[in-house]
Amino acid sequence: MASEAVAQGHEAEHHALPAQVAPDVVARELVATTMGASGRFKAIAWTLGVLSIAGIVALVLKWLDQSDDSTRWGYVAALLSFLLSVAGGAPMVAMAPVMAKANWVRPVTRIAAMFSFASIVTIITLIPLVAILPPLVTEGARRRTIWFEAPDYSPHIWSIVGLVLLLITGIGLFYSAAIPDFASMRDHSMGWRQRWGKKFARGWVGTDSQWRTLRMRIGMFGTFYFLILVFVNFLITTDFGQSMVPGWRDAIFPMYHSISSFQAGVAAIVIALWAARRYMHLEKYVHVDAFWSLGRLLFALTLLWVYFFYSSFIVFWYGRSATDISTLNLLIRGPMMYAFIAAIILIWFVPWWILIWNKVRRSVNGMAIGAAVILVGVLIDRIRIFVPAWSVPPDQIHEKWLTKIPGTVYPDIFDILIMAGGISLAVLIILLMTRVIPVLSVWQVQEFNLLSKPIKYVRGQATMIAKPD
Amino acid sequence: MQQRRSLDQAYTNRKLLNGQLDTPKWWAPTVIVLGILVLIGIGVISVMINKGLGVTGLSRPVFWGLFITTFVFWVGISHAGIMISAILRLTQAEWRRPVTRAAELLTVFSLLTALVFPLIHAGRPWRIAYWIMPYDFGRGIYPNIRSPLIMDPVAIGTYLTGSTLFLYVALLPDLANLRDRTKGWRNSLYTVLALGWRGNPRQWKMQTVGGILLSALMLPIFVSVHSIVSWDFAVVPAVEGWHSTIFAPYFVIGAVHSGVSAVVTMMALMRWLWKWDDFIRPEHFDALARLLIVVATGWLGFTFLELIFALYGQDAPEIALREMQMFTWPWNMLFIIFFLTAYLIPVPMWLFKRVRTNIALMFWTSILVNIGMWLERFLIIVPGLARRTPFVYTWDSYRPSAVEWTIFIWSFAWVTFLMLLFSKFFPLVPLFEQKESQVFTDDVMIGRAKVPAVLREAD
Repeated sequence: MASEAVAQGHEAEHHALPAQVAPDVVARELVATTMGASGRFKAIAWTLGVLSIAGIVALVLKWLDQSDDSTRWGYVAALLSFLLSVAGGAPMVAMAPVMAKANWVRPVTRIAAMFSFASIVTIITLIPLVAILPPLVTEGARRRTIWFEAPDYSPHIWSIVGLVLLLITGIGLFYSAAIPDFASMRDHSMGWRQRWGKKFARGWVGTDSQWRTLRMRIGMFGTFYFLILVFVNFLITTDFGQSMVPGWRDAIFPMYHSISSFQAGVAAIVIALWAARRYMHLEKYVHVDAFWSLGRLLFALTLLWVYFFYSSFIVFWYGRSATDISTLNLLIRGPMMYAFIAAIILIWFVPWWILIWNKVRRSVNGMAIGAAVILVGVLIDRIRIFVPAWSVPPDQIHEKWLTKIPGTVYPDIFDILIMAGGISLAVLIILLMTRVIPVLSVWQVQEFNLLSKPIKYVRGQATMIAKPD
Repeated sequence: MQQRRSLDQAYTNRKLLNGQLDTPKWWAPTVIVLGILVLIGIGVISVMINKGLGVTGLSRPVFWGLFITTFVFWVGISHAGIMISAILRLTQAEWRRPVTRAAELLTVFSLLTALVFPLIHAGRPWRIAYWIMPYDFGRGIYPNIRSPLIMDPVAIGTYLTGSTLFLYVALLPDLANLRDRTKGWRNSLYTVLALGWRGNPRQWKMQTVGGILLSALMLPIFVSVHSIVSWDFAVVPAVEGWHSTIFAPYFVIGAVHSGVSAVVTMMALMRWLWKWDDFIRPEHFDALARLLIVVATGWLGFTFLELIFALYGQDAPEIALREMQMFTWPWNMLFIIFFLTAYLIPVPMWLFKRVRTNIALMFWTSILVNIGMWLERFLIIVPGLARRTPFVYTWDSYRPSAVEWTIFIWSFAWVTFLMLLFSKFFPLVPLFEQKESQVFTDDVMIGRAKVPAVLREAD
């Protein structure tokens, strides 16, 4: 029987295969990564900190200077959308393969869940935009929105509620999966980390009942997170994008934004994983297999992005009604044409040519380059969409379609500092989180080792992966 | 819990080739009944071609009715094959193995059937030649090649060619198996079709690489086919309810919902009719139902977006159309049936493992889905047209005639007939996949628990 042959092969050749790391060694080594900080780490953290403060100051100054002119806030809206995409999308990307019982994703889940904390920056960005967003009824006329006859400030309230819920659920997802690791910190570290570990582990000893509850919580938070993420994407894209432009009716746009969000999330995870592997020396735990699988996912999402974009474009382009033409003129052919070309190249064309090669997907650095290109592309795409949308003068908001296409709005010094500061603050939060809890989930890595065994198969090597129900 | 049993190769051959090496008692009478239905259908089509489209219920302004609805429906069903076979092959889902052949076959036969509908819908099918020929040779008036109506047959033709090739490549090892077990003309047929397959390592490698390459190549075609079908409608701003950017993915996900449900129906029938309980197991229905829950819920999300953005525009005619679809007899009744059968009844049921592993319930719920999905297409196509440029003398709405209903029923008989004919000559469950599954899966001990495991290529 094949299984016996596999077993015999396994017995005979086991010494030739890579040794697996013992569970207690995994716990000790990963907990040790939280302690101490290198000079490089401190330098990066300080730089990010300074940029973050500069960004917050710029946001306050912009508010004092330009709060009466909504057309100047497009870049902040683009930043909001970009942060929502990355910080919101990353945790979901890690959850989906878990639900599909993919073993490769285990070392990736913690780093993905850490992105939830970056949603704090998304909320900070939202605050001035909510204040500037026009109510549903202005000068007695109700504009087109998804809220129909709802109270005038519905988008303002629900976008805040949605984002706060996303943050809370994201942190809940992070925490529910981190409890066994807090217990590891309690058992393997010292000082404040040990005290925090004891406090947050909440008496975790790993009984059957505790494991059952843990898995149930992860499943519940994961499901809620997904639903809230889709809801928030829907709200932000329509209230802070489509409804700002008269005549822009694009049913696919929320889904386009969500797909792009998952793409940006995976790209961000790849870069974070690459950095963790390289600078924390985690090669033993972060295998090429994880990059390979993330590469396939990223490639699929890249193709999906272009499909969603084209599905929308072809209908506008072929329809040729006045609303179709004005929408194309604003978002594609008009003030942001070069940004559109750059976005297409960076989100689709370059990554497609990079990621199509299996050799690249199976390499750590190649994947990081592909992911970085995508992230830049997504940022440009958000600018391409939200800056023109916000540049429409509020007095035109009730028109049937856009009769006069506004000119290109270039970023001022505030916009540049806010964008740099917002992204820096998000990165800084994730960086600081790596000092609080291991960047790789200890129990997930232990489980990964337990469930996958390298074996000798015929003349090659294979992995036997157990799939518990 | 894994329900896999260790099955030796002789048993697998004997059981899975029982349709080809023996003839089940029910096979001949069923094929005869279906053959009669097919002949009746062909007769009715001939009458319609002879008399003209006046025998249908099609009349101004509804010129796309039951035929185009059924065309979209069968194109949707065809999405089962690639969804199941290519995607699950690329993602190395182990449970795909008994499902793939039936799904691929459904793709090929449903596409063949779908193509008939635009052809007969043209009224005078020979005029289809104008699709590639100029209307007038002298003046060189060509059809608009940018039209989705032109791209439709191109996409479907490519998909049909690719799917047939995909099916054939996966069939090669089984054809060789049949060649070695038959005599006479059948042996000659299988010898030719098996292309000299001996099962040496090079052939296996090429077959595997070919399968993976075809899977990857077929995926974009699979998506493009129903997208292009959707653009037949979506690029037309003149018809209310059609001009929506979401139509392409909405149609694709709806097609997957419908197609995978059709595979479930077919799997249940195969298990009952050929008694393949060891190969098509409740765990496979469980996995398909889980997939369907995800797909159906995604489809629901798209439906919601389609509806909300139809109302978003706040255009009076669009709102009137939606009111008609949802609140006016008989559309409201159809709308309720559509929503109940496509989602509200089956999906909540599938949440329970007892239902997912109950083959009879899976069979009936999968049929419900396809009733709903057919109605969905009908509700997209007809009401929008019915409200288009109404004349004062337009006092009745579209009502399909007996001719249309007969041709509609013919399409189901035709697909089933082709399936049964195929089953007489080729195995419906891939033998080599079953045997590979026996090698690539095992149970391993983790602590005191016995856990199912799969073999994967190492880093």
